[in-house]
Amino acid sequence: MRVHRWLLRLSPEALRQEYGAAMEDAIANRLAAARAAGRWRATKVWWRESAGLLIVAITERGGRAARIRHARERLLRPPKAGMMDTLAQELRHAARRLTRTPIFTAAAATTLALAIAANAAIFTLVYRVVLNPLPYADSGRLIFLDYGIPGRNVPSGVPTMTWQLYHQLADNTRLLDSIAAYTGGSGTLTGSGTPERLVIARGTPSLLSVLRVTPALGRWFTEQEGVLGTPAVAVLTHGFWVRRFGADPAVVGRTIVIDGVPTDVVGVMPVSFAFPRPQIDLWQPAQSTRASASFLFSIQGIARLRDDATVTSARAEITNLIEDLARRAPNQTGIVSTALPLHEFFVGRIAEALWILLAAVGLLLLVACANIANLFLVRSESRHREVAVRRALGAGTQRLARYFLAESVLLGVVGGIVGLALAWGGVRLLVAFGPVNLPRLNEVRIDAVVVLFTAGLSLLAALAFGAIPLLRLAPITATLHDSGRGQTATRGQHRARQILMTAQVALALVLLVASGLTVRSVQRLRNLDLGFDPASTLSFGVALPPRVYETRERAAATHRAILDRLNALPGVVSASASSTLPVSGTNYGNGLVVENELDNPQQLQRQFAWFRAVAGGYLETASIRLIRGRTLTQSDVDRREPVVVIDEALAAMYFPGQDPIGKRVRSAARVDPKLPAPPWLEVVGLVANTPTGALTAPPLPQMFMPMSIAGGPEIPSEALIGPNITTMSYVVRSTTNPEDLTAAARAAVEDVDANLAIAQVRTLQEIVDRAGDQMLFTMVLLGIAAGVALLLGAIGIYGVVSYIAAQRTGEIGVRLALGAEPSGVAAMILRQSVSVTMIGVGLGLAAALAGGRVIEALLYNVSPRDPLVIGVVTLLLTGIAVVACWLPARRAARLSPLEALRTD
Amino acid sequence: MPRMRTSDSDPAPGSLDAARGGLGELPFHILLALGDGPSHGYAIGQRVEEESGGRLDPTTGALYQALRRLTEEGLVTPVAGPDHVDPRRKYFAITRLGRRAVAQEAQRLAALVRAARQRGLYPGRA
Repeated sequence: MRVHRWLLRLSPEALRQEYGAAMEDAIANRLAAARAAGRWRATKVWWRESAGLLIVAITERGGRAARIRHARERLLRPPKAGMMDTLAQELRHAARRLTRTPIFTAAAATTLALAIAANAAIFTLVYRVVLNPLPYADSGRLIFLDYGIPGRNVPSGVPTMTWQLYHQLADNTRLLDSIAAYTGGSGTLTGSGTPERLVIARGTPSLLSVLRVTPALGRWFTEQEGVLGTPAVAVLTHGFWVRRFGADPAVVGRTIVIDGVPTDVVGVMPVSFAFPRPQIDLWQPAQSTRASASFLFSIQGIARLRDDATVTSARAEITNLIEDLARRAPNQTGIVSTALPLHEFFVGRIAEALWILLAAVGLLLLVACANIANLFLVRSESRHREVAVRRALGAGTQRLARYFLAESVLLGVVGGIVGLALAWGGVRLLVAFGPVNLPRLNEVRIDAVVVLFTAGLSLLAALAFGAIPLLRLAPITATLHDSGRGQTATRGQHRARQILMTAQVALALVLLVASGLTVRSVQRLRNLDLGFDPASTLSFGVALPPRVYETRERAAATHRAILDRLNALPGVVSASASSTLPVSGTNYGNGLVVENELDNPQQLQRQFAWFRAVAGGYLETASIRLIRGRTLTQSDVDRREPVVVIDEALAAMYFPGQDPIGKRVRSAARVDPKLPAPPWLEVVGLVANTPTGALTAPPLPQMFMPMSIAGGPEIPSEALIGPNITTMSYVVRSTTNPEDLTAAARAAVEDVDANLAIAQVRTLQEIVDRAGDQMLFTMVLLGIAAGVALLLGAIGIYGVVSYIAAQRTGEIGVRLALGAEPSGVAAMILRQSVSVTMIGVGLGLAAALAGGRVIEALLYNVSPRDPLVIGVVTLLLTGIAVVACWLPARRAARLSPLEALRTD
Repeated sequence: MPRMRTSDSDPAPGSLDAARGGLGELPFHILLALGDGPSHGYAIGQRVEEESGGRLDPTTGALYQALRRLTEEGLVTPVAGPDHVDPRRKYFAITRLGRRAVAQEAQRLAALVRAARQRGLYPGRA
């Protein structure tokens, strides 16, 4: 309806004032009736009504004057002549002319459709991901609570906060309208059917009021449910509701069993709700009270700004409140708020890549337009005489302009429609195969804005390539003076063509350089030293419900039992487990204290170390490269040895210039004086750095400890001794295809406890590939754009040189007849064309060198002026251009003089 | 395209197409739909679709464009709707001139049908 109201606004004021409201009412009625008849019918009526309004707007505005004039003309002239002037007539004639030259039409329309499709598809991504506000009411006022610890060299990007801080902010803020916290987790659904590992998110009761969303069915959590000790409740996400419960509305009120706990389903979220990411299966309340609030950085926060607040003022207020809190809680010292708009948090750096892609396909469209303009030039010149006759008979410039523009506009419309259809398919492909970590991919679809953009772009393109032949209209009157033997084209005609050719070469070169640079980046990324070997390894997660596995000892024994079964499987080289796999996040971190260094003022300025609790033989199974000392063995785990293995990043930070082996460290910041200090741990080994997230990010310090001395269900998390080992990620290295092991692995886990489910089954290689997805994605898309630009450019050059050669056939004939060598003639044509091409190469190189900075953000370890890429691309383009020039030149030179002279 | 200044009293032949000597199909159906009494846009549209056997299904835009033209030509006139309906809903009634136009058009069509029958081009009585 919104679109219709908007279209109605295009109609003349008089019509709108008189009938606008009535028309709105009628359209609403029609749409309602159509909706009752089904979705297809509703869509059809929607489009018809839109088109109807558009036609009314056009005919009432442009048509009213025309209509009256027609009536007059009809009275003055015989009826037939009066019909000649209409736009429709012009378009009909243009259509007839176009169908008479099917090859020209098909070539132009296909070129345009491809370029338009690329633009529409990438614009869809840019619009839906970057420009479109988040799908929450007044989403511009939502902020993500990000933090920085400048003293520890972390300027921003700490996404977690403590419950204490949450309550501090909720109680004391004056600039935040409301605040909510959420955290991720997992659990196992049992009871009905096979056990299933679920992705669970926990949110405060305030979450939906901050986002201004309401559940589709039932309700969200009450304030009471946000307090520890209340009966378990859950709200299902739409996807999980459909997948597991067949979209049965009666599920609200039913009880399901999660990790052995009976849980009441109280609501279902709407289909559009994908906060903070679409993979979540269900929500449970995040529970905390002011009294019990912990000082662990375990939750993520969002807030809604009051109308009078800005992000900057909110940051200042939050930082003040943190300072206030730090008097009671020393571990919050030095933290500052770096809150940022929620949209920016979600979309982040991908925006840059998408804009660059849009620019790339924009260049592609320019190349396509240049090609089509060239085709039009040829066409318009072949009609010189016709046009000259028309002009002599009194056709004005406007009339002639319409004559040419009608063709290009028609082509634009066809190209736009076909392009939109292609883009529709392309967007579906992008959504299906696009990188999983591309934010908001679930929101990407073609909508009215994209359609309007495509329509506008098509018309603009049509005007652009339609206008070029028009520029040539002025001297056309002279043509009638020419004799019939137009042996050579005018200098001006050639110049227009050559300018287009130069532009095509330059644009293609820019795209090729961009694409070459991303190829190099992906290559560098592939050769990156990961510090471990992801080949031939299967990984999956197992979560032991803490209700059943109540102690660390019990959990460790169970993991051991599963590992023993996995190790016994045929084809398995080794199997082990860790609380966090490489490239899978940071998860559990804390500061470290080095023995005998308690007075060192640098202590507090070091980054967190990220703790990994591992089973025996993990470093070997993941093939994390050992540099010095030894690894962690099964007996370390069995005997609970207080030993750790650290990586080079940690060694560089905590033991710069020293041998870390034999040194002792322990977890810092004893927040609860009632708890014993964490034990001292001896460094026994040093391993290579492994990535924790983005492959290109600088390595973070990591520390590996036996799982038997880490955290467990019965150990309060405030003890800060290590990650809770109830949830572990398994790694199985095999001699066969690792994916073939999935069924056997599942059986091994079920053999130990039939209520356990395995989750996130994938190979380590997949995890690594996924981390490089975004770069690969931009590489492939840029590669396609550059490839098409190269192809169009080559066709363009070939076409122009052929045409020029054909125009000069007479001249060539004379030269040959006078004794010129055919090879000399070919060289002459080649020389002239190649010099034009080289100007294009020069311009393109200049543009690529100047604009290199734009693409820098997409590159990894490659300079935007990488000489290899620029050299190879220049040679490639020059080579192709020379071939494209040489083929028609050779053909021209092969003519016999007699033939050449007879062509006119 | 040269712009012409026109006043509202300018004749705007459209529905009554003097040159072709007939009433357009959509205007004819609209006038027919109003034959039973005043009605509003949405209902007229439905009626037109029914009576044309689904062959004509004007969009709301087209319908109002035609209604406006018919009003300008004096074949149709806006009237007040019943008390209980939404005041935004515009009601239209056929005028005397409109009835005459329908009759004329029907006569013209009847004459054409007669002519076709006489030549055996259309089934039915001669």
